[in-house]
Amino acid sequence: MHAIQAVDLGKNFGSTQALRGASFTVDENEIYGLIGPNGAGKTTALRILSTLISASSGRAEVFGFDVARHPEKVREIISYLPEEAGLYQHLSGLEFLEFMAGFYADGIEERNSFVEEGRLISGLGERLRDRSDGYSKGMKRRLLIARALMMKPRLAILDEPTSGLDVIQSVHVRNMIKDYADRQGVTVLLSSHNMLEVEYLCDRVSLMDLGRVVAEGSPDELRARYGAKNLEDVFMEVTDHE
Amino acid sequence: MPIIIFPVMGGAIRISQESVQRAVVGASFAVYTDDEGFVTEAFLEYLYRGNTVVPIEAASLEDALRQFQETDSNALIYIPRGYNDNLTQSMRGELRVYANLRKLNMAETQSTNIVSSLINNFNYLFSINKIKRLLEQTGGLGTPEAVRSPLSIRYASILKGTVLDIPPTSIISLVMSQSIMLPIMVMMMVMFAIQMAATSIALEKEQKTLETLMTLPVSRLTVLAGKLSGSIVIAVAGSVSYLIGFGYYMNSAFAFVPEAATMSIDEVSVGITPFGMLLVGVVIFVTLVSALAMALSIAVFADNVRSAQSFTGILITPIMIPAIILMFSDIDMLPQAVQWILLVIPYTHSIIATKAAFLGDYFVVIRSIAFISVWTFAVLYVAAKIFSTERIITARFSLGDIRKRLKRGR
Repeated sequence: MHAIQAVDLGKNFGSTQALRGASFTVDENEIYGLIGPNGAGKTTALRILSTLISASSGRAEVFGFDVARHPEKVREIISYLPEEAGLYQHLSGLEFLEFMAGFYADGIEERNSFVEEGRLISGLGERLRDRSDGYSKGMKRRLLIARALMMKPRLAILDEPTSGLDVIQSVHVRNMIKDYADRQGVTVLLSSHNMLEVEYLCDRVSLMDLGRVVAEGSPDELRARYGAKNLEDVFMEVTDHE
Repeated sequence: MPIIIFPVMGGAIRISQESVQRAVVGASFAVYTDDEGFVTEAFLEYLYRGNTVVPIEAASLEDALRQFQETDSNALIYIPRGYNDNLTQSMRGELRVYANLRKLNMAETQSTNIVSSLINNFNYLFSINKIKRLLEQTGGLGTPEAVRSPLSIRYASILKGTVLDIPPTSIISLVMSQSIMLPIMVMMMVMFAIQMAATSIALEKEQKTLETLMTLPVSRLTVLAGKLSGSIVIAVAGSVSYLIGFGYYMNSAFAFVPEAATMSIDEVSVGITPFGMLLVGVVIFVTLVSALAMALSIAVFADNVRSAQSFTGILITPIMIPAIILMFSDIDMLPQAVQWILLVIPYTHSIIATKAAFLGDYFVVIRSIAFISVWTFAVLYVAAKIFSTERIITARFSLGDIRKRLKRGR
């Protein structure tokens, strides 16, 4: 069974076509990247898969559950990190993890194990006891990624996980995701406009442009197929951008 | 806050009233006379008996007024020349009372009122005495009191079929204090709840936590119910504190009024029975749920807390207008067109029902509950629709957008 099967996904916002028949499949236990420039439709595709919005056309399944017909089932097995996610400022990092773990855990014991996992993933140590409004951007993002991964979801959907972070924080976050996915066997679908980052992180990628998937495969396959040095060159090759 | 504000208000009113009372009790007045004679002497003796009088010795009225302004007294009784002669010749004796309004407060007018009542009392005693002598001289029948005032009135009020030996003005003044405060309480509670609910959803948007919240493994209706119940708990806590604070306020603020203190609400059979209280609870609950659901539905369209507060400001108007109108009037007293406009607004029924419960008119209360409930279900349906679709994520409006759309529509 595929972790994700998206078929001809289309989405209109008024007269704007954000998605124009995007199709891709994600296998279980792989890290899959949607890459492309701003406005390519990456976030829209992720929002459809995480049941936040509905597709105007086409269909999508997550581990066999149709996102439009069984959104509650889908939400039980996924974890979504929006690009501009925030924290409840009056809560400490630890309280935030406890609050979020409560939605997924069966009982206090499981909740505590999720929180412990989140504490380890975030690497924030004693700072978790501080109110989150005093955190730096990098600390906030690490806490949010820890929140998204701590309950070992079958599918983690991460929208631009390193968006706005400096080089050091970005490397840390990338390692967090890769280590966790390898260790726990979690399927990860992420989006990024940083093609070098995706090349390092993802097993397979879809290159998106203007609401369509223009190429799909592993970074090595794509480079070989288009005789390119990296994914940026592949992207320029398969699109009309100059 | 209400548990603090109302007692503080009540305490402040009590302190000010008590200080006025103290000022009145200790009030002194000045007397200046230009006249002499036995009636004038009798009047002066009457004034000096048991009162603090400041005698003014002056060559002229102007001089007397100047001296009066240097005293602590707030009132001056001036007895002009001819007062004694007029009264002895059965003509009207003229007196003049000067009130010195230094600070324009109530105590200063109370001083003048005391002087007036002293003069009126002397007036009464003088006339009764004169009538008595005339009756004796002419051998007429009857008492001097009956000749002076042949008619007497005893007021009674009929309330809910019961005849009470209490003047209607006393009952109305007691009920008015309640009927003004009840709409204010309902209005404040609903406004408080609306602001809170709107802020709770707008804060999720502002802090960028809404998208995460909407992908958690709980149904959207559970999120809506959570937001509603959280706001209701706080609003009800607020209402209870209003009631406690308000109770203290009424006791404190009206403790100085002898009529209100001696006449309990039970005596005049106006008050809320346990059943009435239960119905008021239901009214407040359905009103709160509808207002909160409406606030949540509207706040969904706001990007941040400030916009949400602006949007809910639109809701405040239909809550305030009926509250203000019904504070001073009854729905039946209004013109037909205004009645219909007010009756369409659901929050009017909350106020009508609360007032009706106070008067024991349970049919009106239940009718209002039915109307508000129907409205509440409609609003909840809309809120549930908004929460269960992507509108909760994608809906965005600012007041500027609305203006632009209206312009385009033209």
